[in-house]
Amino acid sequence: MEDNKEKKPKTVIEVIDSGPLKISGNFILKDIKRDKETPMGEVWLCRCGKSSDKPFCDGSHKNK
Amino acid sequence: MEHDKSYTGGRKYSNDEITVYWKPSACIHASYCYRELIEVFDPGRRPWVDMKGAATDKIIETVNMCPTEALTWKWNEEAKNQSVGNDQSNHVRFRRPELLTQGESFPEENSVSVKIMTDGPIVLKGDFNLAYSGINKDFREGLVSICRCGASDHLPFCDGQHRKIGFTG
Repeated sequence: MEDNKEKKPKTVIEVIDSGPLKISGNFILKDIKRDKETPMGEVWLCRCGKSSDKPFCDGSHKNK
Repeated sequence: MEHDKSYTGGRKYSNDEITVYWKPSACIHASYCYRELIEVFDPGRRPWVDMKGAATDKIIETVNMCPTEALTWKWNEEAKNQSVGNDQSNHVRFRRPELLTQGESFPEENSVSVKIMTDGPIVLKGDFNLAYSGINKDFREGLVSICRCGASDHLPFCDGQHRKIGFTG
């Protein structure tokens, strides 16, 4: 019997050492504070708390 | 959930009608409880749950928003529990089976919901592969929260520090 349920590739979430959270694949990003909902293919999210473009990474983690 | 298993570390809080069960090891700090009902759930107070802070129905509504089993509740009158829920576990009687926030469902297979919590963590929900510090893990209907303030003692995971340091963003 054929398996007609095509498997989508898994969404991959990568915690970059001393850097942002990289998400790629099939996901929906929902920003509750800014009330925005976006389906996106690839995104880098701030993990250091210093970005001025939150929730996205803007490279601020490099400036100690 | 990953790190868990010790309900012995839990606590319970009662009013005349219901008992709320608190299981800290299951908490992912999604912070629905205190944003919704700070009168009852105040992490800065000891004890942090004050059952006198709101009416029972409001407490139930808020506990039901908890996306994990960290907060659950049941009626004090055992007969009432029997008639409504048939969940096998003792402390998880009226949870929606999928452990979701009200009105939500798990995303379709291999899709992931990424939620940026207000002044809090990134909450990942669904089927995904998570790679961190050389570890690579597959999650099926997973629920994980990632620190966004940089102050967690359990990086990359959220441990609730954002509230203590007054993180905004």
